Order: sequence, then structure tokens, then C-alpha cells
Amino acid sequence: MTTPTPRVIVPNTAAKGEIFQVKTIISHEMETGLRHDDQGNVIPRKIINKFVCSYNETVVFSVDLHEAISANPFFEFSLRATESGRLDFVWEEDGGAVYMLSHQFTVG
Amino acid sequence: MSLTRRDVLIAGSVGLAGVALFSPRSARANDEALDLVQQLTGRTATVSDRLHLIMPTDFPTGYTVPMSLDIDSPMTEADHVRQMRVFAPRNPLIEVASFHFVPQRSLPRVSTRIRLAKPQHVVAVAEMNDGILLMTTTWVRVATDGCA
Repeated sequence: MTTPTPRVIVPNTAAKGEIFQVKTIISHEMETGLRHDDQGNVIPRKIINKFVCSYNETVVFSVDLHEAISANPFFEFSLRATESGRLDFVWEEDGGAVYMLSHQFTVG
Repeated sequence: MSLTRRDVLIAGSVGLAGVALFSPRSARANDEALDLVQQLTGRTATVSDRLHLIMPTDFPTGYTVPMSLDIDSPMTEADHVRQMRVFAPRNPLIEVASFHFVPQRSLPRVSTRIRLAKPQHVVAVAEMNDGILLMTTTWVRVATDGCA
């Protein structure tokens, strides 16, 4: 399995009060735990089970993911520009691994 | 940890056959989805056209079916949606995702891609800030099993 790599597409600036779009994706197999290997053994579940987007440390959007989210989970959502600062994106994987990205954002 | 279709069937002391026999007829689909939501949440949902679950009617692969979900809501402190949940009742594991929104900060809309094991009515349920549940369904026919 390759190392999960997160990516986000977010504007760098927005006007105060403006709605802006966020696109996020992480490369991940999202192994459902329903498949078997060649020997007939169950391949254990390993999915991204949570995604959280915070805006200056306030959670503004989050997702609980189950097995039916496709491999390489992708989310597109919309936030309101309130003030300049930092957007943090966190993906939590079964077993406790965490993948993160941050994005500086200016409200003009 | 996850709800399986079997759990739901066992949980439903009434109308066992209803959950198993999903038909493409939308009125009946709504009734069956309402029963499902009742079993999963213990609460009664209302079918609402404020909630929009947009998916292709026909899709070649069950592995990555596009899904967009939104609800008409002002997203004020007094009137907003807390979360929207998606279920695929004919998948081996029926829960797909829960999306959480924040009044004033996020719009109540999201797009993603999901797995579907077979043709079915996908169900979306919105929980409003006053605890009301709104529901909608959409029929999707996939040609291949995305959960195998």
C-alpha cells in the first residue's frame, strides 16, 4: 500500500462573508474488510474513518466515513470566509494514523 | 461496529419482508426508507423536497458513483441542519457517511463518491437543529458490484 497523500484545492483569498469552495482528496485504498486474499483470509478493514476541516481551530465541516465511501475519498464543500487565518484538514485512519494539511487564507 | 443489513432485518420485528424487497417504485421506496430510518434511529422521518440527493440514474461501475447532497436551509443559529446521513440499504454495510455542518460557517452541501453493491434506492436523512428528520431517496442502477 502506498502512503496516503492528501491534497486540497482552496483559494488563497476571499472577501469577508464570501462563500468559497474547498476540494479535498486523499490517496487511500479504503480497504472495506469485506474482501478475501488468495488464501481465502479476510483482508482487514483499513479505511479513513473521519475527516475534519477546521478554520482557525473551529471545526466548520466534518465527515464520518464508512466502508461505502470510494477509494481515494474526495469531498467538495463550501465555507464562509470570516477572517484571515489557517484552514486545517485532518484525515484519521483505522489504527490511529493521522494525515494533515494546512492552508493559509487571507480575507481582504 | 457497523450496521449490517442482517442487523436491520433482525431489528425489524415488523415488516421483515419490506426492507429486503426494494422496488424501483418511488412511493414504495419512500415507505421502505422511512421504516429503515425508524429502525436505525428510533425516530420518524418526513419525506421532504428541501433535501436533494443527486446521483446518476445509471452508472457503469459501483466503485465510484458520484453523489451530491444539499438541503435548503438558512444555516442560522435558530434554523440549520446539524448533520446529513446517507444509507445504501442494499450494500452489505448500509451506512455510507455522516456529514456535519456548522451554522454561519458551512453551507449545507457536499459532493463525494460512493460504492454501491447493486441497484438500489440510496437514502439521505437530514437532522435539523430542532431534532426533526427529513428524508429523500434516489434510485441508482449500477452495472457492477462496487463492494466486492
